[in-house]
Amino acid sequence: MGLVKGKPTTSTGKPERANCEELKASLDNPDASIRRHSAQKVLHCPDAVKALATRLKREKDVAVREAILASMGQINNSEVVEELVECLRSDDAALCNEAIETLKLLTTDVSSALKSLLADPDPDLRIFAVNIIESRCDPDVERMLIGVIERDINVNVCATAVDLLCEVGTEAAFDPILQLKGRFASEAYIQFAADLALKRIREI
Amino acid sequence: MSTYSQKPGTGPVISDEDFLKFKEFFYRRTGIDFETSKRYFVDKRLVGRIEATHTDTFRSYFTFLRFQASGEELQQLTNVMTVNETYFLREEYQFRCLVDSILPEIAGRKAGAEKIRIWCIPSSTGEEPYSIAMYLLEHWPGINQWDVEIISSDIDTSVLRRARAGRYSERSIKKLPAHWLRKYFTSVGDDYQLCDDLREAVEFTRVNLSETADTIKYRNFDVIFCRNLLIYFDDLSRKAATDTFYEALNPGGYICLGHSESMSRTSSLFKVVKFPDAIVYRKSLESK
Amino acid sequence: MKRILVVDDAATVRMYHRGILESSGYTVEEAWNGIEALEKALESPFDLYVVDVNMPKLDGYGFLRELRQQDMPQQPAIMVSTESAARDEIVAYKAGANGFLIKPLRPIQLLTYVRLMLGEAIQ
Repeated sequence: MGLVKGKPTTSTGKPERANCEELKASLDNPDASIRRHSAQKVLHCPDAVKALATRLKREKDVAVREAILASMGQINNSEVVEELVECLRSDDAALCNEAIETLKLLTTDVSSALKSLLADPDPDLRIFAVNIIESRCDPDVERMLIGVIERDINVNVCATAVDLLCEVGTEAAFDPILQLKGRFASEAYIQFAADLALKRIREI
Repeated sequence: MSTYSQKPGTGPVISDEDFLKFKEFFYRRTGIDFETSKRYFVDKRLVGRIEATHTDTFRSYFTFLRFQASGEELQQLTNVMTVNETYFLREEYQFRCLVDSILPEIAGRKAGAEKIRIWCIPSSTGEEPYSIAMYLLEHWPGINQWDVEIISSDIDTSVLRRARAGRYSERSIKKLPAHWLRKYFTSVGDDYQLCDDLREAVEFTRVNLSETADTIKYRNFDVIFCRNLLIYFDDLSRKAATDTFYEALNPGGYICLGHSESMSRTSSLFKVVKFPDAIVYRKSLESK
Repeated sequence: MKRILVVDDAATVRMYHRGILESSGYTVEEAWNGIEALEKALESPFDLYVVDVNMPKLDGYGFLRELRQQDMPQQPAIMVSTESAARDEIVAYKAGANGFLIKPLRPIQLLTYVRLMLGEAIQ
């Protein structure tokens, strides 16, 4: 009893050598830990993205979802972007948010996906697009946000964009923000957020 | 007119709006929230980073910080904005939580013949794992019925060497009760040497948390202490580390993060649990 | 002094709600997402929660479900959403919300609901 000196290795199981078909099938295993491990390993298989995305839409276990999204994040290609954008249309708020987060982490090109999301008839999808823009590290960010506040008709889409301009807005955004104030003159939140953004840009 | 906390002309100045902008950004990314009372502390360090990055003004610095894809500057900034010293019984309330709440709960579930395993990462120079060891011996009655393994890891082999050696300065031992000092240490000049029994009770290992080859051996832990490490990682590495911890824990196992840290910027894998002394995180009992 | 927790991942929204509530005498704290909100609520329960739906890591519904499972006095929660579809309101109530409002909020809207939930006079 008491303190005993230990070692990290507690079991030396042989590394599994499941083939791709088995891995894909295990994504539907009733045991969540098996699904999780399959999600982690299947990323090297052909058609992995489709298999992962299909499972993701039905998966209720948080740990499995995280593993699926982590694998998709590592695959990091246009097919992943397409599947995640598809998830944004789900009724499941948690799935939408997870898809946004993963899209934010991708280094592959998402600009064409963003462009079509920003033009989507559903304002919630346009809001999600602005959320994703938040993570981009390119100079286009401000230009995209200015585009939104100049053209979008939905108050919440504009609110999300002007929010972000409080952080990244420069002189280029000043007049567009003033115009936004005019467009939504009776919306207290827009006035508040726009005034804050203007103050941050010019420190008046 | 906005106000400044420094005299103009003495270098980059941080206006009230600059401070708020920085505060919001930093809070969003790290979860650390600076009150206005910390203005002097924050401004000084921001000016330091503006000068170090040769960006001249807060505005250009912020753009640099905000849009840097690698996130390196944010990590540097986090480093200077947080106090990161190590000493025995730092954040003692978590050790109290360990013996009063966590271990009784685990012991209540585990079969008698099993060991209780604790992983402490980073080990740094050993103050934390040795604190846990002493705390268990002094405050946990269960230590007489259970075998407890403490494994402590770090990426830096030189700190591991110092940890194994167990030699400490006045600074490290300042919070220790006098009778613990007498019981577990001997004076060596100005320093204190930890006794062999305790040095031998902790296994120190080298681990790079980002290396799966390293971390794959870490399984079946009941408690993980990972304090004041994850905050310095970028988003991806932090997520990967949390994943590693999830795999390393037994179902129902616990993680303790640092005082100003939270899983909120990292992962929803763990359940938030409130004990009288601390808020900690638990891996679901139903998981494997 | 009643304490209200404002939960939203957008700093400007939190600031806006804070301004409205503080000028009516409430004490306001903030949380960036459901996990942080849960941590703060566990540390020191609030009198009322104003909760956004879409947040990273743990959204408004997830937060409320977790909150309602805790062994502590259960206080009212107003869910705030950009979505206006009826299904979201039902989901919110099932998760444990007491009120459901559509963003962006006008000050009088937020204050009226808060007073209602706290059993205070509506001016």
